[in-house]
Amino acid sequence: MDQAPPTAVSEAFTFYTPSPLESPAGQVATDMQSLRDGIAACSEASLFQHVTRMPVRFPHAKDVPENDFARWAGDQMQMPEVSERLAFVGSGSSASFDELREALLGVLDRVQPRERKREAPEGGSFYFIEAHSVLAPLGVDARTPAEVIEVWPWIDLGSAFYHLVEAPLYGTSEHALIPWLREHGGKTMADSAEQVVRSSRPLNILLKEVGSRWRRSMIGRRLIERAEAPELERQREARAAMARLAGRLRGRGNKG
Amino acid sequence: MTAARDPSTAYVAALGGAPVAPASPQGGWLERYEHLVGARTLRALEALARKLKGHRIVMVNTTKTGGGVAEILHRVVVILNELGIQTSWEVMEGDEQFFGVTKKMHNALHGHTQPLTEEDREVYHERTRIEANRLALDGDLILIHDPQPAFLIEHRREPGQHWVWRCHIDLSRRDESYWDFLKPAVARYDTAIFSHIEFVPPLTVPAALVPPSIDPFAEKNRDMSEEEVETICERLGLDAASPWITQISRFDRIKDPVGVLEAFKLVRTRRPSHLILAGGSASDDPEGAEVLAEVRENAKGVKDVTILELPPQSDIEINAIQRASTVVLQKSLREGFALTVSEALWKRRAVVASAVGGIPLQVLHERTGLLVRSIEGTAFQTIRLLDNPELRRDLGTEGHVHVRDNFLHTREVRDYLAVFARLLG
Repeated sequence: MDQAPPTAVSEAFTFYTPSPLESPAGQVATDMQSLRDGIAACSEASLFQHVTRMPVRFPHAKDVPENDFARWAGDQMQMPEVSERLAFVGSGSSASFDELREALLGVLDRVQPRERKREAPEGGSFYFIEAHSVLAPLGVDARTPAEVIEVWPWIDLGSAFYHLVEAPLYGTSEHALIPWLREHGGKTMADSAEQVVRSSRPLNILLKEVGSRWRRSMIGRRLIERAEAPELERQREARAAMARLAGRLRGRGNKG
Repeated sequence: MTAARDPSTAYVAALGGAPVAPASPQGGWLERYEHLVGARTLRALEALARKLKGHRIVMVNTTKTGGGVAEILHRVVVILNELGIQTSWEVMEGDEQFFGVTKKMHNALHGHTQPLTEEDREVYHERTRIEANRLALDGDLILIHDPQPAFLIEHRREPGQHWVWRCHIDLSRRDESYWDFLKPAVARYDTAIFSHIEFVPPLTVPAALVPPSIDPFAEKNRDMSEEEVETICERLGLDAASPWITQISRFDRIKDPVGVLEAFKLVRTRRPSHLILAGGSASDDPEGAEVLAEVRENAKGVKDVTILELPPQSDIEINAIQRASTVVLQKSLREGFALTVSEALWKRRAVVASAVGGIPLQVLHERTGLLVRSIEGTAFQTIRLLDNPELRRDLGTEGHVHVRDNFLHTREVRDYLAVFARLLG
């Protein structure tokens, strides 16, 4: 069991919710060459907006859409092969900005020189945008990994994305949840969260999956705690659990 | 500062307190949104709002009824107050002369040039001076909507105040002489907000992008029973049995109604269907009347076409027509943001739309709808949808989800809060 004893309050993990403030980044692409130049020159906040933020821009989509660069190459430039490649290299949300930029440029460098200068249709230019998160404390803290599991259902999708993906990418280590879990004895939780984040699933699925993996990881500890609890308390909890189960079954029956 | 105020605007200008919104439902708007966007999203909004506790926001525009901006303000002002942010709404008034000038300005900024005379400038500045003395602009942050009240900043900016200019109009084809007139005022703001990146002109102040949003509870978008849809359509004389293909837009060349008709002719050769072209009345718009006549001429002899001129305030009819349609088209040649697309997606309709303006933000090809670039493409994708109910259902479902996540008023409020927090926080 990797659960550490509760740490001091000063080391509590504070959850923030981010609100993305979008603004023009300055670059405009009218062909594949200028897309390449734009990607080479744009800010990290622009790569974040057009690629990394896709799961949080489409949090309830069946699957995460391809990134903006890939979609533009496909929809406006009618270059499906380039679009596919851009989509693939942009689909790993945990890649650093340097790695991401390099991978995108690698794809665009393979575009045939005669194709690079073919212009987008009228009204089809690509405008680079930046997104900067404005943070607000959610009013939710966790002092231990177990408390993170407890508060997880209260965390909004943007907040989960911020603490699992955005903060680590920007090096805001005090807001990065996975390292905090590791430091506070939640190695299993940290590993499973990392695994789920790497899968680049839609955010609502990611949030649920992280939560359920964490809850499963706590089953062993709960069993030990229950085994050590007084008989009367265990009986009370068992009755409550049975009542919840019966309630759920009744609910299902009614729906059916 | 106190000011004499037209009693009819008193409810929106509840200085120092929450405005008494005429249409606030029991429990408030936020509660109604909870079942749409979820409690966690609302908690995030509340968290952001807590950062702004104690600050006062004043919204300013030039009308309390009619038009998209007033519609949005009616909701957003109430939601901000429900979130605990003291927000009032001031309405700049003017006479016929002033609104004549601002109408010219509005048209010119959209690209329809009319010369701005010295007299026009005088009328505009004089009214701005009068209103600057009258309006209660003593909040911590003043949010000015559109060009009409833009110059108030020259008269009323107090030290420590933040002023934000929110431009709802598409400036991408602006008449530069009008923009030159407006630019010095905009340069005095702390931030300028635009609906879409293509609308942003060269600026000396930071720009923020806040896409527009729809009200899911408005007559145009609210849920309707099948019986209600049927009754309304019957009243409009719409009773075609074959699947409806619909474009709802004013009769304007940039909406390409003739192109829609051509696409429909191609569809009609292969599949039974019925085209509905519905739009606002063209009686007071000479160009609109001309386009409508052109459409009617082109529709002569084409079977299964209904051309509907809808009077203003036809929101409920538009809602019913969209809901009864199998495919909704937006085959524009040029667009601003085109929120009509979000309105159709909200109703889980299958949409075929041109890849112009703000449409690709709403229609993700093969995910939330189908993007096209030609008459043949429009016909091809429409036939695909007519033949494939599963595809229609999948696109409609994803489109609804996409609008829920990105184009409802709660998202617009969140974006405003982010702008406010950046300036005031």
